[in-house]
Amino acid sequence: MRQSVQELFERYQNNLYAAAFNICKNAEDAKDVVQDTFIQYYSLKKEFDSEQHIRAWLLRVAINKAKNANRTFWRKNKVPLEEYMETLTFETPESEELFETVMNLPEKYRIVIHLFYYEDYTVREIADILKISESNVKVRLSRGRVLLKEKLQEEWEDDE
Amino acid sequence: MTNRDKYKQAFSVLQSSGEISLEVERMAIMNKRAKMRTAAAAVACVVLAGGSGIVYAADIGGIQRTIQLWINGDQTTANFEYDGEGTYHITYPSEDGETGEIGGGGVALEDDGTERPLTEEELLETLNDPEVEYKDDGTVWVYYYDQKIEITDLFEDGVCYVKLTHEDETLYMTVKYQAGYCISPHKYESPDTFN
Repeated sequence: MRQSVQELFERYQNNLYAAAFNICKNAEDAKDVVQDTFIQYYSLKKEFDSEQHIRAWLLRVAINKAKNANRTFWRKNKVPLEEYMETLTFETPESEELFETVMNLPEKYRIVIHLFYYEDYTVREIADILKISESNVKVRLSRGRVLLKEKLQEEWEDDE
Repeated sequence: MTNRDKYKQAFSVLQSSGEISLEVERMAIMNKRAKMRTAAAAVACVVLAGGSGIVYAADIGGIQRTIQLWINGDQTTANFEYDGEGTYHITYPSEDGETGEIGGGGVALEDDGTERPLTEEELLETLNDPEVEYKDDGTVWVYYYDQKIEITDLFEDGVCYVKLTHEDETLYMTVKYQAGYCISPHKYESPDTFN
């Protein structure tokens, strides 16, 4: 199946942006990643099994592109995370602290945490998207949670 | 409030702000920021679809050049413009009478891992590289100068290996189905090494 870029753009642009930002820590690069991801969707004419398949593919492509953006010469004028955060309006101080704490985690923990808590993916689904083993996902998720708990303490519950 | 609720609330501040252009069709053709990496070892890996045509000759002189461009195996005269910072822009008369546009650029990886923009000459050389096209009818083609090679049925486990020759040059091309390709004058690159 295929869905129009317009439909997918409206539905998932913020999800892709959040995932890309999670890796790039940079709004301009994250926007480029979102745009490039939809261009790739348009260009490849790939057939999908379901909308969930499309969503997972878009996220996988966006994550890979964001990783590439981190490695490449083609960086936009990078705004420090702290400076960018000043432009964001958080609902509570706790939200801001959680955001900052997550963004200061190592990238490999950060993206796993994001896919689990923001995109509601299971360990198996995350393993499929990131092309790593389920046990690897579990380890990263567990270590990420420990780091969050250490920093956030009572603001972060112990969960599996 | 669960951790998940807290997380979603915190990250809901990230909105793409609607500044992203939806002109994907035009962007796909222009592919302005095609990040074609050319390593010092003369291995080029292309990770984005669409993009460049193939150039084999140039009129030297100034920022713009008239070149002979191979597009999907057909030759045409085109205008090549280099911005001095690693990106190029090509215009050419397309089949429907309109002006076709191609954009791209690249970086070279130095031995120490640092990157620099490709020079004009290096970009012209990279434009000679083979291209892969996924057609609407499901077939997959490689274009190299005047050669058109269908590789649709040559994929095994999503990977296809193609040996290309032009004059004295031989290239070894590893194609991952809908996931980029890598070319080398020395050997078939492992699909694990790119994209």
